Amino acid sequence: MTRPFLIFPLVVLLGIGLALQFAQAAPDVQEVVDRASAAAYYQGRDGRASVHMSILDSQGRERTRDFVILRSDMDDVDNGEQRFYVFFDRPADVNRTAFLVWKNPDADDDRWLYLPALDLVKRIAPSDERTSFVGSHFFYEDVSGRGPREDNHVLEEETDAYYVMRSTPKEPGTAEFASYRSWIHKATFIPVKTEYYDEAGEAYRIYTASAVEVIDGHPTVVQSSMADTQTGGETKMSYSEVKYDLGLPDDTFTERYLRTPPRRLLR
Amino acid sequence: MNPLTLNAIRKPGVSLTLAAVFSLLMMGLVAAPTLAPDAFPFLQSLKVDTDPENMLAADEPVRIFHNDMKAEFTLHDLIVVGVVNERNEQGVFNVETLSDVYDLAEFANSIRWEEDGERRGVIAVDVIAPSTVDAIEQAGLGSVRFSWLMPTAPETEEEAVGVRDKALRIPTLNDTLVSADGRAIALYLPITSKDVSYQVAGLLREKVAGFNGEATYYITGLPIAQDQFGVEMFVQMAISAPVAMVLIFALMWFFFRRVNIIISPMIVAMVSVIGAMGLLVATGNTVHIMSSMIPIFVMPIAVLDAVHILSDFYDRYPAIRDRRKTLEHVMRELWSPMLFTTLTTCTGFASLAFTPLPPVQVFGIFVSIGVFLAWFFTITLIPAYIMVIPERAFEGFGMGAEGKVSDHEQTPLARFLHNVGGFSVERAKLILVSFLVALAIAGYGITQIRINDNPVKWFTPDHDIRVADRALNERFGGTYMAYLALTAAQADEAVLMGDDAGRRLGELGTPAAAEVSAELVRARGNKLTVEALLSHLRAFGEKRRDAAVADEDWAAWDDALLALDAAAQAGDLFKQPDMLRYIARLQYHLEATGLVGKSNALPDIVKTVHRDLFLGEETAFRIPATPEAVAQTLITYQNSHRPQDLFKLVTPDFRKSILWLQLKSGDNVDMGAVVAAVDTFIADNPPPAAISHDWFGLTYINVVWQEKMVSGMAEAFLGSFVIVLILMAVLFRSIAWALLSMVPLTVTIGVIYGVIGLIGKDYDMPVAVLSSLSLGLAIDYAIHFTVRSRELYARIGNWTETAKAAFGEPARAIFRNVIVIGVGFLPLLLAPLVPYQTVGAFISAILVLAGAATLLGLPALITLFQTFLFRKRSTT
Repeated sequence: MTRPFLIFPLVVLLGIGLALQFAQAAPDVQEVVDRASAAAYYQGRDGRASVHMSILDSQGRERTRDFVILRSDMDDVDNGEQRFYVFFDRPADVNRTAFLVWKNPDADDDRWLYLPALDLVKRIAPSDERTSFVGSHFFYEDVSGRGPREDNHVLEEETDAYYVMRSTPKEPGTAEFASYRSWIHKATFIPVKTEYYDEAGEAYRIYTASAVEVIDGHPTVVQSSMADTQTGGETKMSYSEVKYDLGLPDDTFTERYLRTPPRRLLR
Repeated sequence: MNPLTLNAIRKPGVSLTLAAVFSLLMMGLVAAPTLAPDAFPFLQSLKVDTDPENMLAADEPVRIFHNDMKAEFTLHDLIVVGVVNERNEQGVFNVETLSDVYDLAEFANSIRWEEDGERRGVIAVDVIAPSTVDAIEQAGLGSVRFSWLMPTAPETEEEAVGVRDKALRIPTLNDTLVSADGRAIALYLPITSKDVSYQVAGLLREKVAGFNGEATYYITGLPIAQDQFGVEMFVQMAISAPVAMVLIFALMWFFFRRVNIIISPMIVAMVSVIGAMGLLVATGNTVHIMSSMIPIFVMPIAVLDAVHILSDFYDRYPAIRDRRKTLEHVMRELWSPMLFTTLTTCTGFASLAFTPLPPVQVFGIFVSIGVFLAWFFTITLIPAYIMVIPERAFEGFGMGAEGKVSDHEQTPLARFLHNVGGFSVERAKLILVSFLVALAIAGYGITQIRINDNPVKWFTPDHDIRVADRALNERFGGTYMAYLALTAAQADEAVLMGDDAGRRLGELGTPAAAEVSAELVRARGNKLTVEALLSHLRAFGEKRRDAAVADEDWAAWDDALLALDAAAQAGDLFKQPDMLRYIARLQYHLEATGLVGKSNALPDIVKTVHRDLFLGEETAFRIPATPEAVAQTLITYQNSHRPQDLFKLVTPDFRKSILWLQLKSGDNVDMGAVVAAVDTFIADNPPPAAISHDWFGLTYINVVWQEKMVSGMAEAFLGSFVIVLILMAVLFRSIAWALLSMVPLTVTIGVIYGVIGLIGKDYDMPVAVLSSLSLGLAIDYAIHFTVRSRELYARIGNWTETAKAAFGEPARAIFRNVIVIGVGFLPLLLAPLVPYQTVGAFISAILVLAGAATLLGLPALITLFQTFLFRKRSTT
């Protein structure tokens, strides 16, 4: 009579053990991707960074852009609504050119452009976000973040340090890639490398995070690059003066500030 | 008799074996390394080159510049695919055709393969197709949209027409991607190198064959034409040349009636061609458009001497009735004219070695070698061959043999030629006057010659390539590409920057700006480079800015630094509005000539983006007022799918910019006119800043090589004319006779080129090369006639009787030659490649004219000047 009572807890324990084992082997894929997105784009409540961008073409000719990014997460929700402000400092002839972005994870982003030399604020109609960001090899979407729910994700491999995720677009017509693979750092959830593949399975764009620093307690990519094997060029971005939780007022991210940038914040 | 011939007569087997071994060796030398390159690494394999660019040496400045510019602006050779639909009301802008076009572009994007570790095929990122280019458009509520022109195949007819309407609004696409009438589309497929074009075109044709739609697809572009030419060139070598051989063979049979005998000139021609081509390949030279013509040039010349021998043999044999004795007689008689005709022909072609074009040099040298081989085999093989044929085979051989006509001077041919002889002696003055009139008219004709060429016109008008060429050039800006590079003159950038910075800092008027300004003045004294000067001043300003406490101070220093960086861009010439407006005016000027169908340049991009930033209003279709506004327009443009397109028109430093011109015609005269139009415009309208301008692009390169060809050919021709004259003086030991023998050739060439001028046939590559052939052939008949006439005169001592004798066997030999070779080359007229037709028609015309000029002109002139010409002889 005692035997079944002994066996039952054993079975339960075994079951729990197996379940744990299973969970460790296959973490929730979507959760990993969500956390990666949060780690890459939603650190802190808000933040700012000075960015130096160096665009090298296949002939080794360099163009540079220097800009400041201000960011604020609405209601401090990860992977939620977000507002961006990109203020160009150099080259001198695009000084004070600015982008304002209201990022909507479940809809098209709202974008405005300010061109000081034409004294023009222009709304940019929603369209493909996979276009060049100011002539660099980064896409606009690489800067603002691709929605973690836009693709189907499969954990292809798990190493000691990385989740290797294969992602394919849910709507293939909306992206130029057939799939991409990202190496997500297990400890920080920062994607340190992403390779984009074409229909032939060839990697034609490669993103690399080459330096990560912990700033204000947030692991932060401070150097990254995007290589394009089709045109044979590469863009490097290096971040400085990174600050988090500045308490940026919401009205910073309005059309009004496009023309009269908050110089105090850009200093 | 010459020991070579003597040996051949005595030991015919040795000569025949030698020729056979030589041919086999030559064929082996080519075949072995071509078929098994690894087994014979030390031998040169057959290399084919169909690229007209290689008409110029690889280190020719225009080619170096062309390649540098292509690399700098990442430009590639283009295959153009035109899509036309004449059955649909909207042209190609319907769901079905556009879906096919979408498929075709997707397919083209996937054409790539690896070869020797290199990527080859279509360069997908630079393809211009509706689905691969961006459109800028108004998107309601004053917003602007940048998106693919045709992201997916359209689903409704409205969408299809929408693609057209969007494209027509964009100057860089209108008339390039979409025809100006809005009914056709052209895709531009850049390829990794020209030599893949045939392969790529083949894949495209296969793909297109699978479409069921109404549209017609035209695949064209210079690379296709060139590759196609290379392929057809070989077909030509394999068909036309043998057909010519067969016809020559048939005509010889008509004259000599003995198959076993007339095979010998064929063998001579074969061995000479094999020898010349074998040596060409074995010495590592490429088979090129020019060198592919070597067999066609060597063959008639190779047969020429053999026909003289056979003709003489045919006439003498019935009288002597012993092949060895007849042969000895014939060879003695013909030795010196054959040697000299060979020397003069070799001279004519060898002179091409002095032209500045490598393929023409190779052509001249190897035709020369072929001609020399032909002579060698003629004087050894023909006698040897005749000797191995048993004596009884000659029974009934020869003129008037078999007792049909007892006197062989009574055959219709003989009677005809005697009448010609009689006429030219009796009507000498009339003939002289007609020659002079002909020369005068020819002289006028030569002044009318239009020097022009166009590789696409090397195909006959009904060839696919020409049909496609016409279909696309009727509808689009043009399929012939030329590029005009504008380069900012070298300026002292440090001075430029320093002056500009001084001005900008002065305008700021802050104490910070004044400090930087003072430092600028100090630093400029050190004569630093612009980079050193800038980094010094930046460091100076940044240190003070970063130390600033008050926001206003920080801002003042920041503004001063901005002024410095703005000054650093003072040399960005092609952001300057006045420079862009100047380019736009130049474009307008060129399009007004009617030769440039379309041009694409930086101002088009700036104006288009500017227009659509300002609600798409036509009044905003202009260059904005400041370089900053231009820069901001361009950075907006670069937020596209294809930011790299900008640097196909300007370098990232904005110091060099190009105009991409689409010409409707690839004729060199038209390209030349465009070059002149640019020169005129720049001379009449000085640019706002110092710039230099240079051309590149295949259409322009063709003009350069043509210029070199024409001047090179003229010099080579004059040079060989003088050398031939000297050779003649040596042969005849008389200036008078030398000058006399030059008359038929002068008249022939004069009339040929006069006719070219009068009928409006363009003086192109084959016509230029023919001058050396006509020189070589036309002198031959004159040498034969004069040498034989002088020999006869020495025996007879009276010109009237001599003339009669000269119009016996010698005239018959010349006449048979004219017919055999002249008619033998007419099959080239059936060739699908125009240069071969030209060569065929002109060889025939040259031979007929040279024959006529010799048989009419020489006796007439000798009659008129006989006392002077025969003076020495009569005194001795």
